[in-house]
Amino acid sequence: MKGTVFVELIKMAEEAFGEDVVDDMLDKTDLENDGAFTTVGNYPCADLFKITKAFSYTSGLSEEELERRFGAWMLDHFGENYPHFFTGKPDSFAILEAINGEIQVEVRKLYPDAELPEFEITKKSAKHFEMTYSSQRPIAEFCHGLIEACVKRFGQTADIQRASALPPDGSTTFQIVIR
Amino acid sequence: MSTGSNERVSRKRYDRELRARAEAENLLEKKSRELFMANQQLNEYSATLEAAVLDRTVELSNALEKAEAASTTRSRFVATMSHEIRTPLGGLLGMIELLTNDETNPSKLELLKYAHTSGEALNRIVNDVLDFSKMDAGVFVFEEEHVDIRALSDSIMALTRSNPKGAGRTILTKIDRSVPPLFLGDATRIHQVISNLVSNALRYSIEGPVILRAKAMPAPNGVLLRVEVEDFGIGIESDQIDNLFKDFSQISTSLTAAAQGTGLGLAICKRIVEGCGGVIGVESTPQSGSTFWFELPVEIPTDQPMAQSEPITNKDLPHACLDGRRVLLAEDNIINQKLLLTYLRRMNIKVDLAENGRVAIEKFAPGKYDLILMDVAMPEVDGLDATRQINERWNAQDIPPILVLTAHVMDAIQDKAASVGIKTVLCKPIPYEDLKSAIEVEIANQQTNVAHASAITKDVDDAASLCSLMSDDTAQQLLETFSITDLTNLVLRYVQDAESILDKMATLYDEEEREYLRAQAHSLKGSSLSLGFTQIAALAFEIEQSSTDIEATKMAEIVKVIADNLTTISACATR
Repeated sequence: MKGTVFVELIKMAEEAFGEDVVDDMLDKTDLENDGAFTTVGNYPCADLFKITKAFSYTSGLSEEELERRFGAWMLDHFGENYPHFFTGKPDSFAILEAINGEIQVEVRKLYPDAELPEFEITKKSAKHFEMTYSSQRPIAEFCHGLIEACVKRFGQTADIQRASALPPDGSTTFQIVIR
Repeated sequence: MSTGSNERVSRKRYDRELRARAEAENLLEKKSRELFMANQQLNEYSATLEAAVLDRTVELSNALEKAEAASTTRSRFVATMSHEIRTPLGGLLGMIELLTNDETNPSKLELLKYAHTSGEALNRIVNDVLDFSKMDAGVFVFEEEHVDIRALSDSIMALTRSNPKGAGRTILTKIDRSVPPLFLGDATRIHQVISNLVSNALRYSIEGPVILRAKAMPAPNGVLLRVEVEDFGIGIESDQIDNLFKDFSQISTSLTAAAQGTGLGLAICKRIVEGCGGVIGVESTPQSGSTFWFELPVEIPTDQPMAQSEPITNKDLPHACLDGRRVLLAEDNIINQKLLLTYLRRMNIKVDLAENGRVAIEKFAPGKYDLILMDVAMPEVDGLDATRQINERWNAQDIPPILVLTAHVMDAIQDKAASVGIKTVLCKPIPYEDLKSAIEVEIANQQTNVAHASAITKDVDDAASLCSLMSDDTAQQLLETFSITDLTNLVLRYVQDAESILDKMATLYDEEEREYLRAQAHSLKGSSLSLGFTQIAALAFEIEQSSTDIEATKMAEIVKVIADNLTTISACATR
C-alpha cells in the first residue's frame, strides 16, 4: 500500500491524540519498519490494520468509525494537495465519476504497479448514484467516509446506504441519494 | 510536528524520522538509478532504430536504383525494338505502295491491297504497344497547341472512310456551336483518342450509323469539352464495363474474332485522357449500342489568329510546286534509299543521294539544293550531327530547309532535332502523300520567308477591294496577322501557285492520272481555304471528290471558273 496512506493516518492520529500518544502506540505495535513511514515507500497492508486497531484501543472508538473518519481525512487531503482534480467539477457525483476515468489514469502514470481499487458507477437519476467498490483489500468504511466527505465538500447532503451482507466477491455497493 | 508548549521533539521521534528519511533517500536513489537505466535503454533503442532506418533507407534506395535501371533498360529496349520493327515495316509498306501504283492487274492489286491493310494493321499495333510502353516508362509527353476540333474530326472522318471497315458506313459528326473554334490541347493525342473510339465503334457494330458529337460547357479557366462516340452495335454487359479500360482487356464475343487488336486501345485512351486531366467512360446497353465519352478541361487561347504563331498544318499553307526541285537525300538503309528515291523522282524532284552524314556534308554547297532530307541513325556521322556541322559551316540564309526522317519515335529525338534548329521531324514509315506535302510546305515556307525578307513593298491603297474577295472571317483574321503589303504578296504567291496547279490538273486529267489530280485539287482547296477564297476551294473540292469520274466538259468548266477567279484576284492585288 502507498506510503502516503500511512503518513496521513499517522498525521490524523497526531492531530487527534497528540505526538506522545502516537509515539507510544507505534512503539507498542509490531510494525515492519517501526513506524518510520515515508510517502515514497510501499508498506504492508496489514500494518495499516494494526495501527487502526491500536488507535481504536487507545481512543475507545470502533475500528469502523476510525476507518470512516480516515476516509473523510483522505478526501480533504486530496482536495488540498490535488486541487486540479476538483476544479471544474460541479458536484460530488462529478468527482466520483472521475475516479475511474481520470484520477486513476494519472495515478497509473506515476505508479504503474499500483494495485488500485475499482469503482463501478451507475447514475440512476439526477440525484441517485449507485457506486460499487471492489478492492483486493476492501475497506468499505474508509470508502464510505470518503463519499460522505466528498458530498459535504460540495455543500450537499446525502443518504448513503450500503447492503449489510457482502456479496461473495467482497465488493460493496453504495446507494447515494442527494437530499 | 509539535505538541503545544513543548517545542522539542523526542529522541525516538527524531530517530524514527531519520530512519524514514534514510529509507526515502534510498528509495529515491533506486528510482533515480532505474530512471537512468531506462533512459540509457531508450537511447540504445533510439540508436538501433536510427541504424535500422538507415539500413532500410539504403536497401530501399538500392531497390529504387535497380528498378529505375530496369525501367530505363526496358524503355531503351522498346525504343530500339520500335526502330528495328519500324524500319523493315516502312520498307514493306513503301514497296507495296510502289507496286500498287505500277500494277494494273486487278487480282494482283487486290492482293496488294490486303498486304497493305495487314501492314497498316501491324503498324498500328506496333504504335499501340509503343505508346503503352512510353506511358509505362513515364516518358509520354503531352503537347499544348491550338486544336481545331472541327478540322480534326474532318480528318478523322476522311481517314475512317478510306479504311475498309469504315467504307459504306454512315458516320455523322455533330460539333455543337458551344465548342470554341480553337482551344489549347494536344491535337495528336485528341485525334488518337477520337479515332480509336470511332474505330472501336465501327469494329463492334455491323450496321447503323456511328455518331461523333462534341460540345462544351463553361468551366474555370476555359471550357469542359465533352466528346461522345455512339454506335448501335452489340453493346457491353454491365459486368464487363469495369474491365474495359484495363490494360490488355478485350470484350470477347463472336465479333472479336474479327476485331482482333492488342486490347490496349482503350487503356491507352484512358491514360491519354487522364494524362490531360480528363475523364473517360461509357454508357452501354447490350444489344442496342454504346456511347463512349470523354471530358477534358481545356483552355481557350487569348489570341486567336490563324497560322504563324502556331505549328502550321499542311493544309493551311499554300503548297509549292516541286517540279525540278533539287533535294539532297541522306539515308544509309538500302531499302529506304530505294523507296525514297522512287518517291522523290515520282514528285519530279532531282535527287542527290548521300549514303551517310559525312557524305551529305561533303556534297552540300550553298545554292545546290532546295531541301535536305536527313535520316537520323546513320553510320560515320548521324543526321543530327551532320545538320549541326552544316549549320556551323554555312550562313543560315545559304542553308535550305532540312527535314529529318526517323523511325525513332521517342520524343527525345524531337528535342534533339530542335536543338540543332530542325523544326519538322517526319516519322518512318512515311506515306508518299505525307512526304510530298511536308516537302511542299517546307519549300513554300522558305519562299514566303524570302518574299518577306526582300520586302517588296507595294502601295495598295484599297485593301478593301482585295479583302472583299475573301470570306469575311478569314479576311479579318489575316489582317490581324499580316500587314496589307504582306497579305498582297501572299495572295500573289498563292495566285502563282494556284495557276500552276490548275495547269497541272488539266494535264493530269488528260493523262488520266486521277489520284494525282485528286491530290492537286486537295492542295488547291487547302491553300484557297486558308486565304478565304471559298469559291475556289469549293470548286477544287468538287474536283477532289469526283476526280475518278468527272466528265471532261464539267472539268473544263470548273477549271475556267477557277482561272477567271484567279484573274480577278490577281488584278485586284496588283492594282
